[in-house]
This record gives sequence, structure tokens and C-alpha cells, in this order.
Amino acid sequence: MKMICINCPKGCELDVEQVGDEVRVTGHTCPRGEVYGRAELVNPTRMVTGLVRVAGMRKPLPVKTRTAIPKGKIDTTLFAMHQATVQLPVRIGDVIIPDVAGTGVDVVATANL
Amino acid sequence: MKTDVIVVGAGVVGCAVARELSRYNLNVSVLEAGSDVAEGSSKANSAIVHAGFDAKPGTNKAKFNVLGNRMFEDVCRELKVPFRRNGSLVLAFGEDDERALDGLKARAAENGVPVEIIGRDELRRREPNVSPEATAALWAPTGGICCPYELTFRYAENAAANGVTFCFDAKVEGIAREADGWRLSCADGREFEARAVVNCAGIHSDELNNLVSATKYAIEARRGEYLMLDRDEDGAFSATMFQVPSKMGKGILVSPTVDGTVIVGPTAEDIPDKEDKATTYEGLEKVKAGARRTYPGLPLNKVITEFSGLRAHETTVGDFILGEAPDAACFFNAVGVESPGLTSAPAIGVWMAELVAGKLGVSRKNPSIISADVSYWPKTRDMAPADLAELVSRDPSFGRVICRCEEVTEGEIRAAIRARVGARTLDGVKRRTRSGMGRCQGGFCTPRVIEILGSELGLPPEAFLLSRKTAPKALSATTISSQLSTFNSVDVLVIGAGPAGLAAACAAKDAGAGEVLVIERDDAPGGILQQCIHNGFGLHRFKEELTGPEYAQRYVDMANERGVRIVCGTMVLSVEPGVPAHVTAMSPRGGLAVYAAKSVVLAMGCRERPRGALMTPGTRPAGVYTAGTVQRLVNMDGIMPGRRVVILGSGDIGLIMARRLTFSGAKVLACIEIMKKSSGLMRNVVQCLNDYDIPLLLSHTVTDVEGREHVTGVKVSKVDDDLKPIPGTETHFDCDTLVLSCGLIPENELTRKAGIEMDPKTRGPKVDPKTMATSAPGVFAGGNVVRVYDLVDWVSRDSEIAGRSAAAYAKGEFQS
Repeated sequence: MKMICINCPKGCELDVEQVGDEVRVTGHTCPRGEVYGRAELVNPTRMVTGLVRVAGMRKPLPVKTRTAIPKGKIDTTLFAMHQATVQLPVRIGDVIIPDVAGTGVDVVATANL
Repeated sequence: MKTDVIVVGAGVVGCAVARELSRYNLNVSVLEAGSDVAEGSSKANSAIVHAGFDAKPGTNKAKFNVLGNRMFEDVCRELKVPFRRNGSLVLAFGEDDERALDGLKARAAENGVPVEIIGRDELRRREPNVSPEATAALWAPTGGICCPYELTFRYAENAAANGVTFCFDAKVEGIAREADGWRLSCADGREFEARAVVNCAGIHSDELNNLVSATKYAIEARRGEYLMLDRDEDGAFSATMFQVPSKMGKGILVSPTVDGTVIVGPTAEDIPDKEDKATTYEGLEKVKAGARRTYPGLPLNKVITEFSGLRAHETTVGDFILGEAPDAACFFNAVGVESPGLTSAPAIGVWMAELVAGKLGVSRKNPSIISADVSYWPKTRDMAPADLAELVSRDPSFGRVICRCEEVTEGEIRAAIRARVGARTLDGVKRRTRSGMGRCQGGFCTPRVIEILGSELGLPPEAFLLSRKTAPKALSATTISSQLSTFNSVDVLVIGAGPAGLAAACAAKDAGAGEVLVIERDDAPGGILQQCIHNGFGLHRFKEELTGPEYAQRYVDMANERGVRIVCGTMVLSVEPGVPAHVTAMSPRGGLAVYAAKSVVLAMGCRERPRGALMTPGTRPAGVYTAGTVQRLVNMDGIMPGRRVVILGSGDIGLIMARRLTFSGAKVLACIEIMKKSSGLMRNVVQCLNDYDIPLLLSHTVTDVEGREHVTGVKVSKVDDDLKPIPGTETHFDCDTLVLSCGLIPENELTRKAGIEMDPKTRGPKVDPKTMATSAPGVFAGGNVVRVYDLVDWVSRDSEIAGRSAAAYAKGEFQS
């Protein structure tokens, strides 16, 4: 399978193949590319950034999943972000939604408000 | 309620008539179909005060043109409206044209207008940018330029100050004769009675006349398309440059405006729909071709916007029809007032008021009770520094700059809304204050202006998104410093607290600079990163993947640890290089302040190319935004601008916003890119478009924008190898929002004003890449103000070089 690595602006063109039990990645120019290519075939993941309502304010709080989550969980994660409301003050890294969508990954604040 | 006189239409003619009527003992009301004054032809025309040499002698056009022209100094002084008698030139290209000039000269003599014919050499001496093909010209010194909508709303303000009532959103649909006058009914059911009616309904004035009179008129909407060039072009021409009228019409003019921009146009095309103010691909091509005949060096990259206006061309008489209808007593017409209507308006106003007052047998008011008030508010951009400092100390809102391009403050916008006939729309604020009229075309100020409109008018800000409807002597720091008490000395002064400015400030501190001050116009440091809530920042700089606000916070923390002083909510107005350099800045709380700095780092960032610069044809409805404006609305202000979105351009911000809008519940129909490949990074195409099945249409562009009030759809066409749309390839998208992501331009107003040498390729200052030094000693630059970067990490890296150089310069150790 041909794909473009999304790790950095270079956008290397990867060729990822399943050969038996082994996943073979070519075209990458750094170790991160190899990891990405394998994951993209087996279990593609994405960081999700979003906005969470702040009680009593129009301005929303920017948040992110602390690490990448499976692509199939993006919708549920966005829904959870949409449902949440936070109270101020909030610091960068504060957990806003623990274990979002059963991924084991926390949604954390990315700004001080 | 019965009034004496109803004026139908609040264009320049209606408002002039109303104001002159207010000098008599009469109750006067103005009914306007739109939500504001100057919503028709008065807002979109050539803004020329014609000398009067070309109108056919003996016509109303000739008479009122010449009379009106003579009145302009007085009227504009009374109404506090800018006016300049810059003179007009009519260019001849060859012998046929030169004979036509002789004809115009004879006509001018009959009309009593002074003109002379000048030869090629004299023409080139006066106007160095004129085409060498021009062989002679007719010079009319009494020609002038004026701002048509400013004239209209000051007429309205003075009328209102003298008791005239204005009713907006009052579209007159019916009119019936009463025992003593007329009853008018509006589309919304409101009824009005008056002894006399003055029909100043512009493009619709034939329809109103035809309801009451057997003498029928027919107005055809004659559309004219225009281009507007940036203030950079101020001085390209001193006179208004006409061409000899040919059988193809009056031709395309190129003229300075009182605002310092250059106007180019119009086309002339009779169209069936009296509301169709869309621009067209063909029309804009005609404007460009026509203008190049006068101005071969026409710089298309200086186009900031394009628009079209409709002239009320009367086809049966072909002249201004002025006076009482022959078979309808006390029904007065001003029908078919097309060019030279703006010039004629003051004279028509006085003449019409005298006629109406005479018919009603009323006398003039005692002059002592006539108000001269025009709701004038100070224009901070034009104010002397000492006056501005005093104003800001009295009213801090005049110290908060909302529109960066045109330097319009919150105080001005609030005054425009609070005026008697105040602004109630984004366009109303724009035309009264120029906020959003500069080169970014509202990209930065729109979210802030809707907030002010909302707070003044008691509505949620997003309500104003549904429909939109001189060079000041550069503030010289040396003269200011003697007038102002605030004076601060610093070692390194950094302009802008985005990633570039903060990196430069930290690096300057690390390199041993003493006091380092960063001045930021926004309310918080971080710059544009604060609205870039997505991840992907810092892989190189911090070896981890951060979101925009996180990356910004790292630098804010680093600056604080190093003792860098950051002053927010403060707009730098000028930089004067020297030893020391003087930097003038303004803020609501601090008023005007002048800083003496041993060295300066420019880190103002960049701005987005607005729609105007793209020359996309179509209407100009609400719902067209640059990607960065949408990003601010969604991520910072919690406002969703629309539900069905088309994205034009595949810049990174556009791609990022495709995903963000999808996340926020919108349907992104397509991303349209004119080039053969995406201008954004491939990784963004993958994770923002492909992941969500959003089609990327390469070699396509938007060829029409539809919708009167708000966007209702766009037409998209394939383009050929020359980027020209291919006929027959149109597809249509029903959408309520068009997002533009068509590139970024370094923001260099301050750099240019400071006289620093620019690089025409990058559109930033010329810098030495080893030191980031500009052409001005002691002034360095870093980040997107120099050139547009793909990656913030490299912005930080290069700005650190600028910071280290600035520190060395401040210490007297700088070696170039």
C-alpha cells in the first residue's frame, strides 16, 4: 500500500506491504516513518485536537488527546469533547476527559485559561 | 402620522435633497428600502467630481454638473468631507482622438468649463506613469475627487441634526393620492402620509414615477465593474485619467481617491436585473485591458478588491429628469440621475428644496436655529500626535486599533454606530470608518467589529455575519517626543509577540541585551499560534509535537524567565530608524508612547490574501472569509460561520480548517485548487482531507460567487495550463460559506513607512540572512514579516538570529 507519512512536512512516500506476519516499510527517511507506516497498515491512529465549552464564557478551551488514538475512535472522541464543560482556571496538561472513548488516552488542556 | 415631505431613497441625491429641505420650516422624512444610506449607486461609483466638459450643452446633466462642481469646496467644508480638486485629463491616442479632444474643448467652452489641450511632453512631465502611446490630452483643472458614501452619510447626519427622520428597510411598494397629498405603503405594511413626495429612488425611480404619472420612464441598470489598488499605488497618477470616449463608451478611467488608493474602471454593460451587482470574469478582464491603455505598468498584485455598481440610465429621455411630474401635483422626480450624479447632487439638492418649498408655500428657517452638526468623530489616523494623545487619555477606546490596515480605532467604530444615522451593519461600519477597506479586507478586524456592533446594538456578534452589507503624515517620533511626556528607553525593542518576536526577545536576552521590550497589538502574547489549536508544531525546536497554544506558551514562559517585558494591547504606529531608533505606539490605557531603542526587531508576521486580491467574480455577500478569520471565529470566539463549506485554495490553514469545520459539524464539500498540486503540505492533505473524504479538485477555481445577502452557492470550473477557466466545465455547489486559503503576504506597513528597502519577491524587507539586518542600521527582522515560512520551528530559529544581532547592535558589538 502506498501512503504519505504525516510525521513532518517532508511527506515521504511510503510503500507498506504485509508479507506473511511481517509488515515491510520502504521509502521512509527516518525511524518515525517506519513506525508510522506499520501503524497505518495495522492500526492507523491520529492525534485529535478540539474545543471544549468553558462555563460562563463564549471563548472555548483548546484540548488534545495526549497521544494518538485509533482513527475509528475519532467520532466518539469529538462527541465527548462536544459534551464536556470545564470550570476555570485550567492549566496546560490538566486532564479534561480521562480515558476518552475507552482508548485509555486522556484529553488534556492545551492552553492556560 | 402625516409629514410635509417624504423623500424616497437615501442615496447621495435623496440625502442632499433632505438636508436642503431641512433648511425650511418643513417636517421631512426619508424612506429607504435598504438598511443604510448610500446602499445603491452612491456606494459604488468612480468617486469623481466631474469638471463638466463632456455633458451635452443645454441638458440638465450639463447644467447641474457645472453648478454642482462649483459648490463642492463649500459643501465638503460644511460637511467635513474630504475633497480634492486634482484635475482631470482626457487622453488621446492618435489623430482621431485628438480631433475628439477639439470637440470636447468646444463643448467645454459652451458649458463654461475651463480646459486646455496639452501635448505629449507636457503630459509625460505631469504624469510619468502614463502610456507613451498617449499623444495629447485635454486638461480640466476643475475636475476633482471625493468619497461618495462619506458625502452621503454626512448629508444624512446634518439632515438628521436638523430634524429629518430616516426610516430604513422601508421599501415603497404603493403610492396613492390623498385629499391633500400622498399615501405611501411599504412592503412590510408600514404606511406614511405626506403633502409632497420627492422621488430619489435611483435605479428604481422609474417604477415609482410610473405608479403615479402617465409620463412613463424606463431605467436600465448599467453595470460598471471596478478594481481598487492598494495605498502603495498612491501617487501613481495625480489627475483623474480618462480616455477619449469611443463608440464603446466612456472608457476606463484610472484615478487617485481621497483615501490614497487608486480606482480603475468602470465597464458599461446594460443588464436586465436591477440588483445584480456581481463582478464577472469578462468584466474584470475588460477593466484590466482598458486600464493598461492608460497605465501600461498597472500592477495587478496591488489589487485589493473589485466591485461593481449600477448606474440609473434612463432610456427615453437620456437626461436627468428633474421637477414636478406634469400630471401629479406635489410629486417631484429626480429620475435617471446617473453620472455626473455625484457632482450634481449638491446643486440638485438646493434646486429641488427650493422648488418643493415654493410649491408648499413655506419659508426658510431662521439661520440661527440651523445646526451645522454632522456627527463628526476624530479620525485617529489623521490626527496630530499631541491631539491623539490627549484624545486617548480622555477616551481610551480611541487608543485601541481594530483595523490594522487602515488604523481604525474602537472609538471611531463606536462613534459611527452611535451617530444619528448610525451604522447597523458590517458594511455600514466599513463605509463610515474604512475598517476592513484596506489590503486585508476585513480578515483581521471582522471578528472584532461584530463584537463592537453586538455590544453597541445589543445583539449577539454573529448576527452581523448573516449579511454584510489621508495618508497622515507618518507620526514622526522626533516631533512627538518633544510633545509627549511618556518616553521610555530600552535596549532592544521587538514589534510583535508571536513566535518570531518572542524567539528574538529570548535570544537577545541570552546574548546579553539589557532591557528587552516586546510590543504586541493583541490582548495576549502568542500571535497567530493562539488560534492554531491543532498539533504539529515544535518537532524540530522542542523535539515533541505540540499544539499552537502550547508552543506559544513555551516561548511566553521562556520570555518571562529571562525578564523580557511584554506589553500587550498596544499598536506600534511608526518606527523611525536612527541612534537611537524611535518607536511610537498607542494603547487604550497608556495612550501614545514613544520608545527610544538602541535596536529594533521587526516581527509583525503576515496576513492572508483576501478575496479582492484573487479577483474572483460574483456578488459580494456575507459568508466569504479567509481561512484565518474562520479559524479565529471557531477556535477563539466560539462562532460557527456556516454549515456547508467550499474551500478555495489549498494553503495549509485552509486544509487545517477543512478538518476543524468537519469536526465542528459542518459539511466541507470540496477544496478547490487552481494549480496542479496542493500549495499546502502533503501531510495536511492526508490528515485533513483524505481522512475525511473531502475531495481536492486540482486545476479548478471558483468562477462565480452567488447570493445577495449571504452566500448561496459557488460555481467551479476547470482551468487550462494558463490558469484560464475552460468554458463548459462548470459545476455548482450549494454552500453557505466560502473559505479562502490562497496564500500569505508579509505584513510590512511599518517597514515601508520607516523607509526600509523591500524585496519585491518576498514582499518583506531585504535582509542579510547571516544577521537578519535590514537596510536600516539597528533594525533587524525575523519570521513571516521577512518571508512566509512553512514551519514555526524555522520562524523561531531565524528570529533568534535577529535577536542576537539586535543584542550585539545595542551593545555596540555588531559586525555586519
